[in-house]
Amino acid sequence: MKAVYYYFERDFRKWTRGRVNVFATLVRPAAWLIFVGMAFPAKFTDNYLAFITPSILVMTVLFSSLQGGTLIIFDKILGFMNKFLALPAPRESLLLGKILFISTRGLIQATVLLLMAAFLGVRIQSPLNIALVYLTLFLFAVLISAFSSMIGLKLGDHDSYASVNSMVSMPLFFASSALMPYEVMPEWLRTLARLNPVSYAIDSTRALFEGNIPAEGILGLAVAALIMILIGTYQFRRATVQS
Amino acid sequence: MIEIKNLSKNFGDLWAVRDMDLEVENEIFGLLGPNGAGKSTTVMMLTTLMKPSRGSAKVCGYDVVKESKKVREQISYVPQDMALDRKLTGRENVLLYAKIYGVRDRAEKTENVLELLELSGRADDLVKTYSGGMRRRLELAQALVHEPEVLFLDEPTLGLDVAARKKIWGHISSLREKGVTIFMTTHYLEEAENYCDRVAIIDKGEIKAVGSPSELKGELGKEASLNDVFLKNVQSKEEETKFNPVAFRNILRRR
Repeated sequence: MKAVYYYFERDFRKWTRGRVNVFATLVRPAAWLIFVGMAFPAKFTDNYLAFITPSILVMTVLFSSLQGGTLIIFDKILGFMNKFLALPAPRESLLLGKILFISTRGLIQATVLLLMAAFLGVRIQSPLNIALVYLTLFLFAVLISAFSSMIGLKLGDHDSYASVNSMVSMPLFFASSALMPYEVMPEWLRTLARLNPVSYAIDSTRALFEGNIPAEGILGLAVAALIMILIGTYQFRRATVQS
Repeated sequence: MIEIKNLSKNFGDLWAVRDMDLEVENEIFGLLGPNGAGKSTTVMMLTTLMKPSRGSAKVCGYDVVKESKKVREQISYVPQDMALDRKLTGRENVLLYAKIYGVRDRAEKTENVLELLELSGRADDLVKTYSGGMRRRLELAQALVHEPEVLFLDEPTLGLDVAARKKIWGHISSLREKGVTIFMTTHYLEEAENYCDRVAIIDKGEIKAVGSPSELKGELGKEASLNDVFLKNVQSKEEETKFNPVAFRNILRRR
């Protein structure tokens, strides 16, 4: 299992050396925080920034994890994958290393966002809740990055993946409890939002910001993440050795 | 070192490799053939990246299907794509493999292979600053860091200039002297002629001829080169479609 860490380390180093990547991934969440969070004239709350900060945290992790699906595609088309699969380490460590890297990257982006929000006056009451926010976001990142890597491997080229990504990401975000509470949604949107896994992550994170502990939500995400890893690993084994 | 029995691989109706029998000893063995002859498919099966449809193969005594992990511990594989991390240094690229292989004293072993392939001076530079020949040598360094018994090379000199090719071949030859078995594919017949102990010519998934370059040439007479042996055994796509020089000239004249 050490190999998982080594694959993670490889991606992480490459990421930190592309300074533009690091900078660019931080700008979008900041823009949301400022241009939406601080400007949107919401009627259901007098502190929209506090309401939307958890949503933007989850969104950051969601988009970054979905985008992460391209990593495994590039390893495949550039020939890295064949070299790695000919190594004696368990083959799925490559996939797990990717999931670990994408999730860690998402948490780093979330940290910067949390600091910005704190600067703008958003607070979390207890250290335990901060830790649980990280746990929630991590589980959600694992769920989505396992999913995106699986789709990436299935599609096999980054152009198709980019179209699927842009098709999936916006509806997932908007059809969730990100921008408004369930009470003010139209009936049809409420039904969709209740089914959307993104809502689970947002609701849990929001509860943690409000000082509650959403045990059910976190447990649900943990189970979903685990199942997605199992499916992803199974599909990875099938897709990588041609029989 | 490598025993191949009846090895076959089909994709639907197309037999990429068909009933291949081959034994490779401790030597430099070259697999020659036109594009699409089944060279890469053979290498993929021997390196456990692809499962055979029929037949079997053993590398270092281990079955490539049933004991694939054991096989991977003994071998190294350098595909033709040149997959190196451009944003990592040469040393980091090698160290990654040393770590994943679980090599003991990996820092020291990494230095040794970098030195062996004459890359020590540039080891801390990012790979994006490396020339094609240096990149290929870096890939060899990655492949050698765990001291494999068998080295699989897919077109190791493809796209390199003459000097770089000569250097790569120098390294490959010195590896054989150290006891490493080398199984490689190539398009460059002169290179195979000069450096391989034995070669096999493969066409449409079937082995047409096996032997040392001089044996194979001897069958055709004094003046023959490996090129002649190759052309005698292989029907290329160009020949099959019957190139018609008269029609070709007419097309040119019309312009």
